[in-house]
Amino acid sequence: MTEVITPRRERSVAQRYRHSLWLLTKRDLQVRYTTSALGYVWSILDPLLMSAIYYFVFVILFNRGTLIEDPYIVFLMLALLPWTWFNGAINDMAKAFIRESKLIRSTSIPRSIWVMRITLSKGIEFLLSLPVLVVFVFITQFTKTPAHIRFDAVYTPLAIVLEAVLIVGLGLIIAPVVVFFRDLERAIKLALRLLFYATPIVYGIAKFDKHPLIKHVLDLNPLTGIMSIYRGAFFKGNLDWPAVGIAAIESVIILVIGIFMFRRNVRAVLKEL
Amino acid sequence: MAQPGMLSSAAATARKPVIVANDLGIQFKRNRRHRRSFKDLFAESSRRARPDEFWALRNINFSVQAGESVGVVGRNGQGKSTLLKLVADVMIPDEGRVSVTGGVAPLIEITGGFVDDLSVRENVFLTAGLHGMSVQEIENRFDEMISFADIGDFLDTPYKHLSSGMRVRIAFAVISRLEEPILLVDEVLAVGDRQFKEKCYARIDEMLASGRTMFFVSHSEADLLRFCTRGLYLDKGKLILDGPIQEVVDRYNADYK
Repeated sequence: MTEVITPRRERSVAQRYRHSLWLLTKRDLQVRYTTSALGYVWSILDPLLMSAIYYFVFVILFNRGTLIEDPYIVFLMLALLPWTWFNGAINDMAKAFIRESKLIRSTSIPRSIWVMRITLSKGIEFLLSLPVLVVFVFITQFTKTPAHIRFDAVYTPLAIVLEAVLIVGLGLIIAPVVVFFRDLERAIKLALRLLFYATPIVYGIAKFDKHPLIKHVLDLNPLTGIMSIYRGAFFKGNLDWPAVGIAAIESVIILVIGIFMFRRNVRAVLKEL
Repeated sequence: MAQPGMLSSAAATARKPVIVANDLGIQFKRNRRHRRSFKDLFAESSRRARPDEFWALRNINFSVQAGESVGVVGRNGQGKSTLLKLVADVMIPDEGRVSVTGGVAPLIEITGGFVDDLSVRENVFLTAGLHGMSVQEIENRFDEMISFADIGDFLDTPYKHLSSGMRVRIAFAVISRLEEPILLVDEVLAVGDRQFKEKCYARIDEMLASGRTMFFVSHSEADLLRFCTRGLYLDKGKLILDGPIQEVVDRYNADYK
């Protein structure tokens, strides 16, 4: 029973990268959605529950401040859903190498794939959660303050690209470093909680004129510009191009630093795993 | 790429080398178990000199011709598995380089790609895919893999519910069906019951007969003598002897038994 080794159809490096990336992303989504009947519900439960809480706190308890806009539930979700992507991805970056150490020790897949696959699978989860937003937009049509889609919605893909660049950049920095300093994982969780309030999610920046200093500080956060694009899709005066410019510059700088740090650290990471 | 000084025999120059190691070296920290903490990040600069680094492998030179079967011999911790990992490109050398022509089927931690929550079927497609097989190729060989692993009834069972023997069997079945010209084997034959072990042996024989190149790490003298024609003897991170397997095994036994 001898066989002849047939030379395999040669595939380019890029093709193999894409193929592996897609397989791993599909694996993540399969685990997420097919292993439990509530798969999809689980992935939207977190933002849904948080929305309910913030709605209760800011609209009912504090009788809405000056910084939020109506309909608040749509206003909130427009930023909370992208935040869920960012938050979930950055949290997972801390485990990108450690969780897959057996696979990394046994296959020669390009190492940056472990960062890309988290960005991609969390990004797809984000896109799959958008129908929830549509449902809420629909519901508001029967209230006193219906939400209307605006022309600025065409810029949403730009926000998605910027957010992806930012996540990949941060991931390339975080993923290798956590392998050496495991307690960094906790520091990241803490930083994310801070960042949540330093990002216009539960509030908006459109009416921040009274506090110019806070506005300037917020603008330094790349997520501020990114969120302003998402919000602009339904709310007038939210899309803030200067903030978007800052977000774009910062995201690209972080990506460049990330690529540089990742290249420098990957050799040591492989030894440590 | 080929080193003029090394390829002395006429037979070797006739065939082309598929694995070439040039001055290969890799460094490790001595106490790797000691995890650094975030706090150390700030203290680091004051004690940058790291006295606890050592060369796990250094100045390693060899080249393997297509169709050769090479066994790596040495005591524990002398760099055998590290050498295999460098060839498999799952570690990056600190010095020199290793170039491998053609695809590699790594039988190293073979169950690594398998996901507990997914079914056996999904896992087969995933792992084979990650090793570079297309969906079409996997479908063509799927039945072959399953019958080799002998787990037909468990196809749609989550991987975590398989017994440990079954897990290794399906993993071996998948990786050993990768149509790659180079085979890297690290101690996988130590697992499984005798019947399955025989099957693995037969499969490796079959692959060698079809002209594959094999790089083999084992502590079993019997396995080494059975599969390999040539041996590399590693000791204290250096390549001590590169010659016919019998000679290498004899030298190793003379040194350590």
